[in-house]
Amino acid sequence: MRVRDLTISYGGEPVLEAVSLTVEEGRFVSLVGPSGSGKSSLLRAVIGLQQPLSGTVETHLARSQLGILFQDDALLPWKTARDNVALGLTFNGMERKKALAEAEAWLERLDLVGFGDRFPRHLSGGQRKRVALAQALAMKPRLILMDEPFASLDAIVRARVVRDVVALVEREKISVLLVTHDLEEALSLSDEVYLLSQGPRAHITQQYPVPIPRPRDPVHSRMHPAFSPLYERLWADLSREVDHRAEAA
Amino acid sequence: MFLHPRYAWIRQLAAFAVLLAVWEAAGRAGLLNPLYVPNPSRIGAALVELFSDGRIWPHLDATFTAALGGLALGIVVGILLGVAAALVRLIAELLEPLMTVLNAIPRVILAPLFVIWLGIGLASKVALSFILVAVLIFSTVFTGIRQVDRRLVERVVTLGGDRWALVRHVYLPSVAAWVLGNLKIAVGFAFTGACVGEFVAATHGLGYLLSFAQSTYNAALMFALILLILVVVLLIFGVAGRLEKYLLRWN
Repeated sequence: MRVRDLTISYGGEPVLEAVSLTVEEGRFVSLVGPSGSGKSSLLRAVIGLQQPLSGTVETHLARSQLGILFQDDALLPWKTARDNVALGLTFNGMERKKALAEAEAWLERLDLVGFGDRFPRHLSGGQRKRVALAQALAMKPRLILMDEPFASLDAIVRARVVRDVVALVEREKISVLLVTHDLEEALSLSDEVYLLSQGPRAHITQQYPVPIPRPRDPVHSRMHPAFSPLYERLWADLSREVDHRAEAA
Repeated sequence: MFLHPRYAWIRQLAAFAVLLAVWEAAGRAGLLNPLYVPNPSRIGAALVELFSDGRIWPHLDATFTAALGGLALGIVVGILLGVAAALVRLIAELLEPLMTVLNAIPRVILAPLFVIWLGIGLASKVALSFILVAVLIFSTVFTGIRQVDRRLVERVVTLGGDRWALVRHVYLPSVAAWVLGNLKIAVGFAFTGACVGEFVAATHGLGYLLSFAQSTYNAALMFALILLILVVVLLIFGVAGRLEKYLLRWN
């Protein structure tokens, strides 16, 4: 997936200006930046929910090969976990019975055996997140777009869900574009991290390759010798960016 | 143990029984004028009499037919107009001011007009119940669709759902939830419409019987009818509540 010179505006000054980035096949890429830097707007433009002012988003993927995992799990509250997971499959032409069987298999894979008949309101935050993940993965996506997907989870549940996500995307060789303001999360999960400047007119200021080998354990990768120097560099660059914009204002 | 929250209904029932006993005793002691406040035993006797001679049934039939007819029509038309107004701006521009006015006024004032237009038969009662319910359901559906959770719409779109999928999986369940959430109020409105319509001009119905009791100064009959209407509406509330609980079990 390639984003070229993307500029997004909501009527006034652009929130993002001339942003370019690439997500190669099977790579985990993160986009970090201060609040208001237009990270989520970029994802919405990639999905097609936001019309850019200029620039292009190139993917060689069908809509069904694009998975989405947002902070808000946005499961349909009147459908059971199984029905929610099967929804995308039926939209893409799969027979309902087969879609439900497929959905059940994904729920099992994500440790949700016996939860298929429950409605989202009757699931915990971590379980809902897993259902949303199963919904995204059931479509067999080649690229998953994630917008702060783990932010609403408590520390232990978050660690488990993140571990599952990493294991799955590594096994299935799925590309990921993760938007987050959590620098540790970005570095521990990604092959590459892009830093966005403070908005408006936010743009990519740096690109950091992460030389931590795969398969990775998201917790242990923080102890890798390459992690701390990279984290310090990224933190310094981000702080400088925020300070610079504050001075300009 | 008696003060445990689980036994609140026993305490309430006991308090009600004490109230009835005090009321009965006060009546028998001549402290209450039976012309205005008859004894509970007199009210009970009037109620038993209504059922034992069978004359209540045509009246119950008339009120139920008017209320349930108006309720069904009001729900269907309210949903259709609400959906149409939410989707087509021109319809919203035409309907919204009318519905706002109808919502603001006490709609039962239309009862005499319906009698002139539709006669003293069933139609004028159904019309009053209908207008009370339809305006409520229209407002619920119209506002609800405009405030539908955008995240759910976007989720269905991003999963590959088309317009029909949006209607089927997001809008219809949302509308059903809002309508069911207001079902009990709608039931109350429907019976209000039927009874007020019968009160204004009718030959049958609980409202008509109430009017008759008033004109003959029969307070016992009046209390008996009020009690009967109360029980009927509470029973329907119970059914509506169970339906709501089952259909909205996801909530």
